[in-house]
Amino acid sequence: MSEATRLRVGFIGLGRMGLAMANRLLGAGHDLVVFNRSPEKAADLVKAGATLAPSVKGACEGREIVITMVSDDAALREVTLGPGGIRESLAPGEIHLAMGTHAVAEIQKLAAVHNEAKQILVAAPVLGRPDMAATGQVSIVAGGPSQSVKKCDLLFQVMGRRTFQCGERPEHASITKLANNFMLGCAIGAMAEGFSLVRKYGVVPQVFYEVMTEGLFAAPSYKVYGKIMVDEAYDKVGFTTLLGLKDFGLIMAAAEAARVPLPSGNAFRDRLLSALAHNDGNKDWAVVGREQARASGLE
Amino acid sequence: MRIGFIGLGRMGKGMAHRILSGGHDLAVYDVATQATVEFAKGGAHVASSIEDLCKDREVVITMLAEDAAVHEVALGRGGLCASLPAGAIHMASGTYGIATIRALETAHAKSKQTLIAVPVLGRPDLAASGQLGLVPAGPKEALERCEALFKLMGRRIFYAGLKPESASAIKLANNAVLGCAITAMGEGFSLVRKHGVEAKVLYEVLTEGLFAGAPAYVGYGKTMVDESYHKVGSPITIGMKDAILIAGAANLAHVPMPSHDVYLERLLGAIAHGDGDLDQAGLAREQSRASGLE
Repeated sequence: MSEATRLRVGFIGLGRMGLAMANRLLGAGHDLVVFNRSPEKAADLVKAGATLAPSVKGACEGREIVITMVSDDAALREVTLGPGGIRESLAPGEIHLAMGTHAVAEIQKLAAVHNEAKQILVAAPVLGRPDMAATGQVSIVAGGPSQSVKKCDLLFQVMGRRTFQCGERPEHASITKLANNFMLGCAIGAMAEGFSLVRKYGVVPQVFYEVMTEGLFAAPSYKVYGKIMVDEAYDKVGFTTLLGLKDFGLIMAAAEAARVPLPSGNAFRDRLLSALAHNDGNKDWAVVGREQARASGLE
Repeated sequence: MRIGFIGLGRMGKGMAHRILSGGHDLAVYDVATQATVEFAKGGAHVASSIEDLCKDREVVITMLAEDAAVHEVALGRGGLCASLPAGAIHMASGTYGIATIRALETAHAKSKQTLIAVPVLGRPDLAASGQLGLVPAGPKEALERCEALFKLMGRRIFYAGLKPESASAIKLANNAVLGCAITAMGEGFSLVRKHGVEAKVLYEVLTEGLFAGAPAYVGYGKTMVDESYHKVGSPITIGMKDAILIAGAANLAHVPMPSHDVYLERLLGAIAHGDGDLDQAGLAREQSRASGLE
């Protein structure tokens, strides 16, 4: 890798997704400094040539781009605005690249803060699971000033299969990611209703699954989540009901802020809530299939 | 086999041609007599009435647009129940409500005939080329007797069960999931548009990711992005007709369907705004309206 394309990158947040993404960057030859609250998670990265920073500050100093991949808005706020955080520690002109799924309002607020500190916020949430992140097969939705997004694109090319440019403001990426999750949730909710209806008329769920996925709905979302419902395999968790509810909280907040009624989203969110009420919060969120069955007197 | 076919609309026409090309003895009937002309040329018998059509037939296929029509054809004076020989099969291929299917089933049984429900999945071009999906349900023996016909009309056969209403339930549920997908897409597009993102960007994210390969999203989503609602595949009024059948089926079986209820409400709102003749993707416009975008 030439010095021109070798970027000095900081990486904060080494969960399952973050670790896989950091590995991709390191593998591509970028100069990587990492920070994680539990430093032992960084052991393999350090062996492979990354530098472990003792603090957020250490992961910002001398960096051109600092990536955050943290689980929620509170964690993002803490690493960005807290003492020794990114705002205080990143040099003017450099980029904070937020790759988690965050609230639109949070991203807007952080964009303003960075702007004041003459830094740039780019939001680029990721679509995909950890196994896809490990092989660079995730998709990335990016939003921010085009010059900065372009610089980040060198990293996107290594971390993902496809990058979608959403607009000039970081929150454009947040809302696109949330809308994608919204569509998935609604599809799960509708499928659940379909399965309950056919079951009540004596149909084996597998048959309805085949009708859907070999026809109008021949897509990964319906195949994956429909299969979980057919097998009632809700204990094999990809994404939990609790996390789904968290996402739908962000979606509804963004909808309220923009004055967009989302009746389908509300129907699905209520099913998630009922699933929680029945202690299915830690099951895969396809468990709304069971919740719908319950509401239909089938369980 | 000696087959009768009633209802030579865009779908029925293609299906009847497939039966004819399979070498079966075909009699056809349609109230719009001009629809039968091409079949007379092809060697089919053009019946003068339903009663005439039913003579000696082993199987009569109906492909009619509405419950009221199939009701009339089967149970009316000189209809299928009165005219079909004992032991014959009525293959009902449209999309019908549960109550209608149950009424037909009972009436045919009284006349010692058998009802099978075989709703189809696909468009007229697929009907013409025998590439439909078929969802048959009914007594096993009757389904076995009709298998050769299924294979002429369809590429893929999804056996739904031993009761005709099981097939209706699948077809209705499939339409319900489609309606919900259209509604949710409308919501998603309004959401991103209000936040300053072009609808096209979300369309690409959806159709190159989680919803890649799904005609429901690729097709209706494109119509929404282009706002080309006047190019009508299936209009909002037809969606409304089906949604009422779905709600009826849900009521009968005690299945609350909140997402589908949302779809039904959007259909109603669209019709209230004079958009009943638009393509169903036009529900996105109704959602935009509700969001203050129009």
